Amino acid sequence: MPLAGSLDIRALLEDAPTVTITDREEVIEDVDILQVLYEIGFADLESLVPPALNPTIPPVIAFLAYRAKDSLWGPFSLVQVRLTARAGVRPRAFLISACCDNPVAAEALTRSWGYRIRPADIHLRRFHDRVDCSVVAERQTILDLSLVDPQPITGHDVQYPPGMHLARIADSSGTKPRLIQVDSEYEFRRADRGRPELASFDPSAWGNKRMVPTNPVSASFAACKVTISAIRYICNPDIPSSEGTENMGAPAAP
Amino acid sequence: MELSVPRPWTPESERQVYANALEQVILADELGFDYVWAVEHHFLEEYSHCSAPDLFLTACAMQTKRIRVGHGIIPCVPQYQSPIRVAERAAVLDILSGGRLELGTGRSATWTELGGFGADPDETKKTWDEFVRVIPKMWMQDRFSWEGRSFSMPERAILPKPIQKPHPPMWVAVTSPGTELDAADRGLGCLGLQPGGFSESEKKVNSYRARIENCDPIGAFVNNKVNTVNFLSCSEDGDLARRSGLKIASMFSYMASQLLSAKEVLPTHSYPSAGLLPALRRESGSPGDAAKSFKGVTMGTPDDVAAAVRAWEAVGFDGINFIHQFMEIVPQQYVLDSMRLFAEEVMPQFKQGVTREPVTAGVN
Repeated sequence: MPLAGSLDIRALLEDAPTVTITDREEVIEDVDILQVLYEIGFADLESLVPPALNPTIPPVIAFLAYRAKDSLWGPFSLVQVRLTARAGVRPRAFLISACCDNPVAAEALTRSWGYRIRPADIHLRRFHDRVDCSVVAERQTILDLSLVDPQPITGHDVQYPPGMHLARIADSSGTKPRLIQVDSEYEFRRADRGRPELASFDPSAWGNKRMVPTNPVSASFAACKVTISAIRYICNPDIPSSEGTENMGAPAAP
Repeated sequence: MELSVPRPWTPESERQVYANALEQVILADELGFDYVWAVEHHFLEEYSHCSAPDLFLTACAMQTKRIRVGHGIIPCVPQYQSPIRVAERAAVLDILSGGRLELGTGRSATWTELGGFGADPDETKKTWDEFVRVIPKMWMQDRFSWEGRSFSMPERAILPKPIQKPHPPMWVAVTSPGTELDAADRGLGCLGLQPGGFSESEKKVNSYRARIENCDPIGAFVNNKVNTVNFLSCSEDGDLARRSGLKIASMFSYMASQLLSAKEVLPTHSYPSAGLLPALRRESGSPGDAAKSFKGVTMGTPDDVAAAVRAWEAVGFDGINFIHQFMEIVPQQYVLDSMRLFAEEVMPQFKQGVTREPVTAGVN
């Protein structure tokens, strides 16, 4: 049987977001997205993700940076650090943590979709020869990466699996720990890919010091419209997703 | 033969999986199965520990008399192996098997494998194309030289030469859309690896048949056979057969879905789909998910299996490559009994009085 996650979620739950499930979705018309993927070390592979998920072999860390030109909450940048995984047979990305430079956006993303966010200064800049992204939190650079030598591709070639966000779900009986499946839809206007470069990454600052990037995999940049969908599925983080998934009134299978 | 080994594997459990597979092949030879196909995979924990298929197939050849031994498939990726080595080793296998080699070709679809060798997924279709063009020349020409994209060599004799003349049959694995047309254009046989419905399969087979009529073969002859893949579980107790077969199919689908496809982590035109994974993900929700089954599964009583084989024959397939076992999920004795019953009750219905090529029931 494939390796199952064994991450002890108790420590993570101490500062996990509390989410009330609604049918809220959010459309963000003009978003630049930089995604950079690296393999990370195999050590304690299982303990990277909770028991609901299976780690991939090799484990891959995804740095996913959004720059929204405007939104309901105003312009914002959001950088997520995620790990590739499987929920049953489906590709998913387990959110380790995120940074955001707009407190209003951060609050909304946290409350509605369970993003685990800390404030930071984020700079995502696109040039003709590269795309750079840096994240500075508490005056420390905790991430500095680039896509080098962009080449045009189609949006169909870029994949962003749904996120799995650990949160406390609030209902009439209190709260319960759950992984929230965060689905987004993308309408691409342009897309590029290039060579990934990672100048700086502080895994401890993002919540897991064992995430040490090793082998570069890919980098892509896209300009698109993003719709963050209403929450359709949540699952119990402590049991396999095939047994612990709840449908929140989803209109269609993922 | 995937040669999958459940976790936690040990030297003994790996040895046992190989021993069981060899026992199946020896029995398949006695029973009249036509082919044994062995995959080549690297680094795919549990899913496949078959990284040196030429060695396994040589062992098969040395213990059998008539079953054909097939690479299903050799990845044509230069970081894995030079085409020179493919031609040499395949020729040796053809000699040792007494001219029973079938050479399936392909290119790998997982990042786990391609990234492990430092191979560029954008290049694999191109290198496959170069490999399949040069390998028949290496076999047929006394001396060979090449100035190419993925490799070059000065004039040398590539030895030994295969027994089969002009050369062994060549195939390509078909998972990505359109690869069946690539096969047809080059005069290569199709090793269908993706389960699909009857109408979808029929369209592909018809497209292939129409296209291959005007092919420019890469070798000295056209191999116009099209094989599909299925799960075989045959028992007089139909419920037992379906339960056992669905266990194999569900486990195969679940484990395949855990693989990290190249498409998933690398934006590339070279892999328009994630290979067989999307279809398998649609079919399987969990390792125990036996509620769904592929259409036309070859599971059940001999009559059920014969009906399914007949349906696939009507679609236009020349043969079916059967997956009998995966992760040792059913007992070895059940696999052997299933093969025997298939050979006794089902195979004769297709081995006699056929006008086209016989339905080729290999083991996989």
